[in-house]
Amino acid sequence: MSRVAMLIDESKCTACRGCQVACKQWNDLQGWEYSHTRNRGSYENPPDLSPQTWTRIRFNEYEGPDGFRWLFLKEGCMHCGDPACVAVCPTGALKKQPNGLVSFEKDLCNGCGYCTQFCPFHIPRLEVANPLTGEAKSSKCVFCQDRVSNNLLPACVKTCPAKALDFGDRDEMIAKGKARVQALLERGYSEANLYGENLVGGLGRLYVLIAPPEAYGLPANPQYPASAAFWQKIVQPLGSVAFGAAILGIIGAFFVIRRNIRMEEVQ
Amino acid sequence: MTVQLKGKREAITIRWIPKYTFLERAGHWLHTATFVPLALTGMILFFPFLQPLAQGPAGQFFRLVHRIAAVLFGLIPIVYFIIQPRRLLMNIREFLFDKEDIGWLKNAFGYYVLGRHGIMPPQGRFNTGEKMNGLIMMAAWVLLGLSGLIMWFAKGVLPSGLFQAMVIIHDVMMIISVCMLLVHLYLAIAHPLMWAGLVSMRFGVTSAEYAAEHHAKWYYGPKRAMELYEAQKRQAAGTEH
Repeated sequence: MSRVAMLIDESKCTACRGCQVACKQWNDLQGWEYSHTRNRGSYENPPDLSPQTWTRIRFNEYEGPDGFRWLFLKEGCMHCGDPACVAVCPTGALKKQPNGLVSFEKDLCNGCGYCTQFCPFHIPRLEVANPLTGEAKSSKCVFCQDRVSNNLLPACVKTCPAKALDFGDRDEMIAKGKARVQALLERGYSEANLYGENLVGGLGRLYVLIAPPEAYGLPANPQYPASAAFWQKIVQPLGSVAFGAAILGIIGAFFVIRRNIRMEEVQ
Repeated sequence: MTVQLKGKREAITIRWIPKYTFLERAGHWLHTATFVPLALTGMILFFPFLQPLAQGPAGQFFRLVHRIAAVLFGLIPIVYFIIQPRRLLMNIREFLFDKEDIGWLKNAFGYYVLGRHGIMPPQGRFNTGEKMNGLIMMAAWVLLGLSGLIMWFAKGVLPSGLFQAMVIIHDVMMIISVCMLLVHLYLAIAHPLMWAGLVSMRFGVTSAEYAAEHHAKWYYGPKRAMELYEAQKRQAAGTEH
């Protein structure tokens, strides 16, 4: 099965935040943050992704070659081709689906929060019920898995009035993104670029940007965390080998000394 | 105390002398009672094959057990320090290595695995193996405790790189200390020649004869123990030639 991807054309985004509302509505997420709104010197709201806000428009204030402007970024899970969250999740609640979508099964989550700490984009958020007992549930954008697997578009894509969002076969999205970048370059957006084609195994969320990724607050060169690779590929197998060796060594040593003692008694 | 051993006709007399205080034994067993559940519940998040136990409410329950056990595990040495600070410091000093420990390490394989009756350098109240166990457990208390506290309370507060490092430290220290525990367990309950340790840890006493042989520096004092050791070595060299 070929991979799916979301193509987000930030040159078209008007920051209407219809995607935020559609996401909450379809996924049945609370809007309590909106009733806690405070003026923080920005139009963006809510202030950050949260367990109840899986996507959000970030308002980046950018001083570019043509003076000040806003750069809008639709934040959310990148659905990495090489997802560290899936590798570190001890429960299997996070899974990489055959179509490349990183799904999340809330019932399986035990709230350990490893995914929130190993994600190179700091996307998953932990809804902590009790910090002392550690009772919690993780959450993140799942590309509306229920809709997508029934041949519907994700809620945010469906609702976007500016047609800034597109969703479908990943290769097709890359081709569309590249064509759009080309068109933007020709129109004089000299910094236009496509973000995510080859990052962390190829992102499932591709951005057409009109400024460098850093200006959007995106990491220019995100990496699969080395600590996750070290932990999963070296420490864990080493643990199994060490325990196995210790147990076998002890059993062996027991028989050796028992034999030697009996030999001595015979002599 | 006179004991009739199985299969032996004549009774042997054992003179018991005190070895561990009540608090030392209580500390040891409370440490065991918290460390074992900690290791078992911790492994659930470590080994992929234990995934079914990590899922959903079960995983949540084991994480809670881990935290309760962790608090008790952390408190044991602190409470011990409050009750008997000097005794705790003395215990820590007893675990530190000296030059006889090198000789012990060289001969340990032949003695404990092959069952050869080599002459071992005189040992204090704790022999080199027990010292290693003690040192690793002290390191485990510090490192597992610190990394655990950071993971517990600083998740999302401090940079994620720090959390990641703590996961690695916690896991590596767990592997080392659980391997040490397995060896310790074997020597205590299954090793055919090491019956005395478990008796001492249960009842606080040891046989004087055993102490003289295995813990000479503690039984005779360091000076006399070294004299006896040198004499033993000379005798052994004499019989060989």
